[in-house]
Parts: sequence; C-alpha cells; structure tokens
Amino acid sequence: MKKILFTLALVVSFAGISQEKLPAVSLETIDGDSTTIQNAAEKSDITIVSLWATWCVPCIKELDAISDVYSDWQEETGVSLIAVSVDDSRTVKRVKPLINGKGWDYEILLDTNNDLKRALGAATVPLTVLIKDNKIVYRHSGYSPGAEDELYEYVKKYSKK
Amino acid sequence: MKKLLLTAALICTIFSSFAQEGGYFFGGFESNAQWLLDDDGINFVAPEDNLRANNYFQLNYSLGKFTAGIQYEAYLPDALLGYSPVYENGNGIGTYYLNYKADKLDVTGGYFYEQFGSGLALRSWEDRQLGINNSIRGARVKYAINEYSDFTALYGQQRIGFEVSEATIQGLDANVDLSTAFGIEAVDLRFGASYVNRYQNQGTQTFLPSNVSIAGARLDFVAGSVYGGLEVDTKSKDALFFEGELVSEKLYDGTAMQVNLGYAQKGLGINGTFRRLENFNFYADRQAAGNQFNDQVVNYIPALSKTQDYLLTNLYVYNAQPGLVIEQAEQRAGEVGAQVDVFYTIKKGSTLGGKYGTKIAANFSYWGGLDAEYNVENRFYEAKFIGSGSRFYRDFNFEIKKKWTPKFSSVGTYQNVYIDKAISQGGFVGTQGEIQAQIAVIEGTYKLKNSQSIRGVVQHLWTEQDRENWMAAVVEYNFSSRFSMYVYDNWNYRELGYDGEESQIHYYSVGGSYTEGRTRLSMNYGRQRGGLICVGGVCRVVPESNGLSASLNISF
Repeated sequence: MKKILFTLALVVSFAGISQEKLPAVSLETIDGDSTTIQNAAEKSDITIVSLWATWCVPCIKELDAISDVYSDWQEETGVSLIAVSVDDSRTVKRVKPLINGKGWDYEILLDTNNDLKRALGAATVPLTVLIKDNKIVYRHSGYSPGAEDELYEYVKKYSKK
Repeated sequence: MKKLLLTAALICTIFSSFAQEGGYFFGGFESNAQWLLDDDGINFVAPEDNLRANNYFQLNYSLGKFTAGIQYEAYLPDALLGYSPVYENGNGIGTYYLNYKADKLDVTGGYFYEQFGSGLALRSWEDRQLGINNSIRGARVKYAINEYSDFTALYGQQRIGFEVSEATIQGLDANVDLSTAFGIEAVDLRFGASYVNRYQNQGTQTFLPSNVSIAGARLDFVAGSVYGGLEVDTKSKDALFFEGELVSEKLYDGTAMQVNLGYAQKGLGINGTFRRLENFNFYADRQAAGNQFNDQVVNYIPALSKTQDYLLTNLYVYNAQPGLVIEQAEQRAGEVGAQVDVFYTIKKGSTLGGKYGTKIAANFSYWGGLDAEYNVENRFYEAKFIGSGSRFYRDFNFEIKKKWTPKFSSVGTYQNVYIDKAISQGGFVGTQGEIQAQIAVIEGTYKLKNSQSIRGVVQHLWTEQDRENWMAAVVEYNFSSRFSMYVYDNWNYRELGYDGEESQIHYYSVGGSYTEGRTRLSMNYGRQRGGLICVGGVCRVVPESNGLSASLNISF
C-alpha cells in the first residue's frame, strides 16, 4: 500500500513539473525514410498529430470525420495533420492501401515499434495532440463523434497567436 | 505518510531544478485493477486474491542528446487473471535505460525495444494488455553510415518477469537504400539483412546446440502505385520441445518466407500478403517453446488476418501456428497462407456514393498447415512448399461505411469464418473438427448537440458448432468528448430446445470512461467471456470471470 501511495505521490508531483516538449523520436515515412516528429511538425505553424492504427475503429472514424472538413480547416487556419500509424508489422502493410482507399490527404508517418506512442505515454489510441512551436499545447485521447469540432476550436485559438 | 510526502516533495524539487536547465521529464502512470466476484451463472469462483492490479510507473528524463528512463512495475496484491506467473506478486524496477542520440549515432545501455525488418527474426516490445515485455537488457548501437545505409548491433539478455534469460541474444541488422546508393529513379528499392543468435549453455545434454541463429534478407520496392516486398529467413538446427519436454535428440531447422504486393491510388487500395512458416518458433530459452504466455519470445509471428473489433467477430480469432509438433496426438510443421485486403471509396456525388461517398473494405484470409508426412516413431517429417495441408482458418469479411446526413452514419459488416476448434479453444490441432460461423453487424451513430452522440450496435452470430448462436447489442452514449458510458450484452442463446433455458448465458458489461487532457479513467462491471484476447495478432488466453475493473492512465 505504501508503495502505491508513494507512486501516486510521485505521479502527482511530476504532473506538476512536466514540460510539454515533443519527444525526440525517430519515425519512418511511408516510403521508408527516417524522420522525426519535430521535422514533420516544423512545416506548418500549427500541427495536429494523431496517433492511429488500421485496426482502431474510433481512430478511423476521427480521421474520416476530419477528412470531410480538412480542406476548410487548412484554408482557414493553415493547420496540417500528421497521422502517425502505430500499426506494428502485422498490420503496417495495410496502412498504404487504407489511406489511399479512404482518400485521406494527411501526411502519414509510421511508428512501427511504438517508440513515439511510448514517449507520449499513450496507453490507447487514438491520441490527438496539437503542436505549436515544438510544444504540445493540447492533447486528447479517445474519440467520440463531434470531438473534431472541439479540436478545431483549439486549432483556431492557437493559430491566431 | 508524512515521510512519504516529504520524500516526494524533495524528489520533486530536485527534479524541478533539473528541468529548468533545459532538460525535461516525460512518462506516465498506468494502473489496471480488477475485483473478482463469484458468479454461479458462469460457474466462476473468485480466487482468494480477488483484488488484483497491474501498475506501471514510467519516468524519463531528457537532456540534450541524453535520455534516461526507468519503469517501476507492481503486480500487487497479485497480477490480473490470466497473466504469466512470472509477474505473480512481483514488484520492482522492470526496465531502465540510458540513451545517447546524435545525428548518426544512437547508443542505448540497459533495457531496450527493437525490431529487425518485419520482426520475423527479432522483435522486443511491450504490450501491457498481453503481459508481454521481452525487452533486452544489454547494449545497442545504431549507426547511420551515410544517407543511404545504416546498421544496428545489439547484445543482451531478454527480460522474463523481473529477471533476465540465462541465454544471451546477439543481433545485427543492416539496411541499404539501393535507389539512393545507385541513383535509380524509376523504382524505390531497399535491401535489408538481419542476423540473430541465441547462445544458451548445453548443460549436460551435449547434443543440444549452444548457438541457434536466424539469418534473413529482405527487399522492398515502390514503383509508382505498385509496391511490394520479399523476406526470407532461415533458422539453424535446434532441439524440439513439446510442452516443456524434450521430444528427441534430433535437431530441426526452420524457414520463413513472406511476400507482399500492393497497389494504391487515390480511392483504391489493394494489399496481398503470402507467408509460409516451417518450424519457426524462436524463444530465448529452448525449453519455453510454445508456452501460452508468450514468455521469452524472440521473434514476432503475428496472425495475418483482419483484426476484428466487434464483440462477436472477436469470438473466433486466428492465432499463428509456426511451431513443429510430431506427436501421436498431433502433427504439424508450420503454416502457410495468404490474406488480401481491398479498400475502396465510391465517389461523392455518384448514385452509390451519395453526398459523402461510401467506403468499402473487404478482407480474405486463408491459413492452413503444411502438407507434410510424419514418422512419429522416428520423429521425422518432410514438408512440401505448398500443398494441401489441413485448413486452420479461413475468413472472408466485408464492411461498408456510409454517412447519410451530417448527423447520421452507419457501418455494416458481414463475416464468414472457419476455424480449427483447437486453435480457437486449445487442444490438439486438427483433431477436434472445425467451427464455421457467420456474423452480421450493424452499427449506427447519431450526433447530437455539443459533442454529444449516441452509438448503437446489433450483432448476430450463426453457427451449428461449439456454443451455437449468439446475439449481441451495444449502446454507447457520449455525454461529451470527455465522458462516455456504454452497456452491452453478448447472449449465447443457442437453438431453442437444445439445452433448455438454463444454458442461456448472458455476458453483460456496463462501464464508462472519462478523459481529461493527460488523464484517462475507465471503469466497468460485468462478465468477461473466456477465450483469446489478441492484440496485434498475438493472443493471450483469458479465463471467464466476473467483476469490477478500473483502469487509470496518467501521462506527463
């Protein structure tokens, strides 16, 4: 019991001091080149990073829902979305046909051995984070219909700054 | 208690001062707990330790090019039901590491996770739901020689619970981007090669090989909309164990081959994978071969079939069968088969596409045993490359997603599946017959105001074997994007007049989850249907149970 309490105390104390810096983790592009999440996020002023997988139903629902309005979002705020697949080698071969079959316009990165997932402490997918100036300014895990509207409120809020 | 808080505050202060000098902390805390309750309805008697929890606390600190981390794990008062006994009552430091990462060089000491190619030769990873953590304790060096080639070298012992394997693992992996190296522009061509060796002492049994290795090569290409790859691996001769017992003094080698071919353009994607495995288990301890907890697995052999998401499509799932068994009761030498996926979007504005387009996905997979002849007395076998081995699994499924209005969307799924009964439920493969089932699922989601929504799913499974027919329904209400609740029921109602009403079993569950930024809490109460729980094609057997579960996750 003491150990558990101690751990909890630690957790609480760390939650207070943690910085929302992006972890430096290598990822692969869909063509097999090596990159980092920083490099990918640098391309636009504000970036949505969505951790997803081909087997994750809510993830696909979220990305489908955003896909419907993505061009409007880009026009209005200049936001871009990077969809980081956490599929391991069992399902990673489905990523390319799936994104094409769906007609998504996102930049796709692969986190095959879940290094980024671990670094972000994501127990489950989807995990959606908003990145501005190399820092995480908003994060949300799970998806329920309509959550994309809330996400967009944050995108608008931070794109003005 | 006071001491406790004081220590925590002290540590916090020390770390805060670290944090201000450019470094930063990250990590998380996860706790999965269950409180098991007796349930006559499913003949479940709660074990004496009826309160169980798996807890993980992970802390990392990054400063410049260095990152260090530690993971504390506590399976107290006991590990969750169905987890490997290596975690029983355990608590302590599970993993730790120190990493230096520069432009070209990446060095890790301590415990690390690694994967070579598709993992057929080596993969160390963590999956808390499955109770897998086969990270390797030792040293790893990754080096990018130039812009088109890199290699990885590693040495260490594999983690088993809170200990490490007696055997050591050595590995080498190299990748070359041939297109860049030779200035080829029409095709993107990549080559990779892996070598993994296990050194394990023979003890007194001198016929046992102390070194067993896997060597493999792979080639991947992308040419416009077409892409594909080929991987072949061979495993050197190793002794054969069956349920922990040495079968004979004979040694057996193994092979693996995987071919992938796909086509992708906007609106259409097709992918096909063929794989053949012959005696291709690889464990850190030769004696651990085939253990049901996935303890000490060195390589990654997932089932290549569609990952199912619904309650009833999850009932009959495939588990890969790479192993060699030459017993009176059971003979098999591996598996061979293929799967094909098709994704297609019917364009917006067309008759079938409607206003929003219609999304279609289909998957077919077939897996069978190798066509082989066995001589059980002499423990000898000979397998053909492809032949007419017995069927292990065959699955066809079709899914159609449609958004009807801005508020309403639906998904329809049909699945037709055959599975060897022993693969689904344990026992000797090929001796207990097959289960054939059809499953239909209809799901609808309706969006209300202010991020509120309601989702309903109805499902039916038809089969004349096993436990016969099932029905299931789910209702989920999302009060906001943060808070949602669900209730579901799997009803194994069987055919009327078969076993009478008493055999009608409901597996119900009610629960909810709350998410706020970096914290997620979920709770549920209900019956757990026994069987295989699979994550990423690797499965764990869970017994039937009843109880209250809670899960807390905080990341920072």
